[in-house]
Amino acid sequence: MRTWSASQARSQRATRAHGLRQRLDLVRHLVRRDFRLRYHDSTLGMAWSMLLPLAQLGILVFVFQHVVPLGIEGYPAFVFTALLPWAWFSTCLADAGPLFVGNRDLLCRPAFEPKTLVVVNVLSHFLTFLVSLPILLLVLTLYHRPLTAALIAFPLVVLVQGALALGLGLMVATLNVFYRDVQHIVGVLLALLFYLTPVFYRSEEALERFALVFALNPLTALVESYRAIFFYGTFPAGGPLLFAAAVSVILCILGFRVQARWQHEMVDVI
Amino acid sequence: MAAALTVESLSKRFRVQRDRPRTLRESVIRLLTGRLEADRFVWALREVTFTVEQGQALGIIGHNGAGKSTLLRLLCGVGRPTSGRIVPVGPVSGLLELGGGFHLDLTGRDNILTAGLLNGLTEREVRAREAEIIAFAELEEFIDQAMRTYSSGMYLRLAFAVAISFDPATLVVYEVLAVGDARFQSKCFDRIRALRSAGKTLVITSHIPEQIRALCDEVLVLEEGRLVTRAGPVEALACYDELMRERTERRARLVGGSAAPLATGEGARHGTQEATVQAVRLAGGDGAPAETVRAGGDLAIELDYRLARPLPDLALSLGIYSDAHVKCFEVLLYSVSAAFGELAGRGTIRCVVPALPLLPGRYFVNVGLYPPDCDYMYDYHWDMYAFSVVGEPSEQGEVTGVVSLRPEWSVVARS
Repeated sequence: MRTWSASQARSQRATRAHGLRQRLDLVRHLVRRDFRLRYHDSTLGMAWSMLLPLAQLGILVFVFQHVVPLGIEGYPAFVFTALLPWAWFSTCLADAGPLFVGNRDLLCRPAFEPKTLVVVNVLSHFLTFLVSLPILLLVLTLYHRPLTAALIAFPLVVLVQGALALGLGLMVATLNVFYRDVQHIVGVLLALLFYLTPVFYRSEEALERFALVFALNPLTALVESYRAIFFYGTFPAGGPLLFAAAVSVILCILGFRVQARWQHEMVDVI
Repeated sequence: MAAALTVESLSKRFRVQRDRPRTLRESVIRLLTGRLEADRFVWALREVTFTVEQGQALGIIGHNGAGKSTLLRLLCGVGRPTSGRIVPVGPVSGLLELGGGFHLDLTGRDNILTAGLLNGLTEREVRAREAEIIAFAELEEFIDQAMRTYSSGMYLRLAFAVAISFDPATLVVYEVLAVGDARFQSKCFDRIRALRSAGKTLVITSHIPEQIRALCDEVLVLEEGRLVTRAGPVEALACYDELMRERTERRARLVGGSAAPLATGEGARHGTQEATVQAVRLAGGDGAPAETVRAGGDLAIELDYRLARPLPDLALSLGIYSDAHVKCFEVLLYSVSAAFGELAGRGTIRCVVPALPLLPGRYFVNVGLYPPDCDYMYDYHWDMYAFSVVGEPSEQGEVTGVVSLRPEWSVVARS
C-alpha cells in the first residue's frame, strides 16, 4: 500500500497549481493574440469591432423607424442593447467552424487541448463585446435610460450566454472537421436565427402562434434579459432565463462530450 | 535501468483517402445508394513493441512511409493508437513540427511566449528563459520585429531554439537537425548531445546516417509499419541498406526489369533500371580521358543517363570512395530537374571537382539514380569506375589518409 507523506501531497498540490496557472496563462495569451490579430494591419484597428454593429444599428434604425415604423420608443437604444450580445453570439459561432481545421499546427502539438481554441474564441469575442459597452452606455444616456441596480444581473446573463456559445462552438468546430459543410450551414442558420430572435422587434408583438419558437430559443431569453437590464432597468424575468441557463448547461456538457469523443479521430483527419 | 517509455504492441491504421475532405453530401449519397462498402485502411504501424530506458538515446530509421512520423506523433500523445498502448513515465515533449503555432504577424518575442506556453510553461517561466532562447537563436536585433520579416533561416533558428529550451524528461526529435547553416546545425547537434549527457531520454529520427551513428545508443529499423530490428547504430544502418536493396529488387520485378544485381567488371550495379546510368567517363583537367589524376589537379566526371520511361524527376548521388571503402565525399541531389531543368529521355551530366584534394592512391567514383524520395534505387554503380591519384612523394615524412592537407612546418622556439 502506498503511503502519502506531507511533502508528496504538497508537491502534488504544487504541480496542480502550476498546471492551472499554465492553462490560464495560455488562454490569456491566446485571447490577447487572437484579439490583436483580428484587426491587425487595418488602419482603424479595434474601432472596426464597434463600427460593424453601429452600421448594422444604422440600417435597422433606418428601416424600422422610418420605412416600416415599429413605433418603439427610444428605438436605437432598444435595438443596440440586443444587437451587441447578438453580435458576440453570431461572430463566435461563425468563427467556430474553421477553428480546428485551420489550426492544424496547434492541434498536432503534444499536450495541446483543442477545446482551448473554442474557449479562446468565446473569450476573444467577449472582449470585443466589452470594448463596445461604453458606446452602448453612451446611446443609453442619449435616450435617457438610467442604469439601475439590475446591472448586478449582467454577469449572470453573460455567463449563461458564454456557456451556450461554448457548447455550440465545440460541436460546430468538431463536426466541421469531418464535414466541411457545417460551417456553411451555421452561416445560414445564423442568418435565420437573427430574424427569429427579438433583436430588432419586441417578442410580444410577434404572432401568438410563434410563441413556442420564441420560448424554445434560448437567445430570446438572453436578449430580453440584456434589454431588461439596460433598456428598462429591471431585473430579467427569472423563468425564461432559468430555462436558457438549463439549455446552455446541457449544450455545454454535450459540446464537451462530443469534442472529447472525436478528439483523437480529429488529429488523423485534419 | 528503469524504462522511460514502454510501447506495447502498438498499431495504428488510417482510412485510405483520408486527405480528401468529406462532405455531408457524399455521406448522404453513400447512405442512400446503400454503397456502405467497408472503408479501406492502411496500417501505418503494426504490433510495434519496445522500451526506451531512462537516459538512453534511441534512433528510429526507415524509409519514407515506414511509420516513423506516425510512431513519433503517438509517442508525443498526438492521436490515439488503434490498438496497443504507450506508457510514458515522465512528460514527453517533441520537436515534431518546428515553428508550429508561430504567427508571422507577431514579433519573435510574442511567438516565443506562444511556443513556451504550448510547451507547458507558465508565462513567468517563459520570460525567465527568453534571453537564453534569443541568444541561442542569435536574433537579438530582430526579436521585436514581426516574424514575416525574418528569413527562413532566422525562422528555423528561432523555432529550434524555442523547441530545445524546455526540459522534458523525454524528448522526441523528428528530423530537425537539418536547420540553418552548417554552423547552426552543429550548434543544435551539440545541444542535443548535451541533453543526452545530461541524462535525458531521447528518441530521434534522422535521414542522415552520420547523425544516427553519433547520437544513438540503439536504433530501431521500421519497414512498412513493422519493427524489423533493434540493434546498435552500425548494424541497424546496415540492415536499413539491406532493406533498401530488397525493396529495389521487389520493385524491379514489378516493373519487369532485371532483379539480380548485374556484376560488371570490377564492381557491381543494382537497381530497377527504370532509369539507368549508361556510362561514366572520368577525365583529367585537360579533358583527355584519364584514369590517372595528378594530386591537386582537376577531375571531370561525365555521366550518361537514360530513362526507360518518362520520369518527372529523379535524385542523383555522386560519391568518391577510397580503395578501402572510406567515403571521402558524396553529394546527393534530391531533384535533378530542379538543378538542371527538365529531364530528357537521355542526356549527359558533367561534374568537375577542381583541385582534387586527395592523397595519392586508388579511388572509386560511385554514382546512383533514385526516385526523388530515395526509397529504392533506379541504378547504383559502385566500385565500377576507378581512378588513381598520383603525386610526388612527400619530402617531409610519410603521409597517410585520404585528404591532402599540405602541412607547413616551422620551428617556433628552441632552447
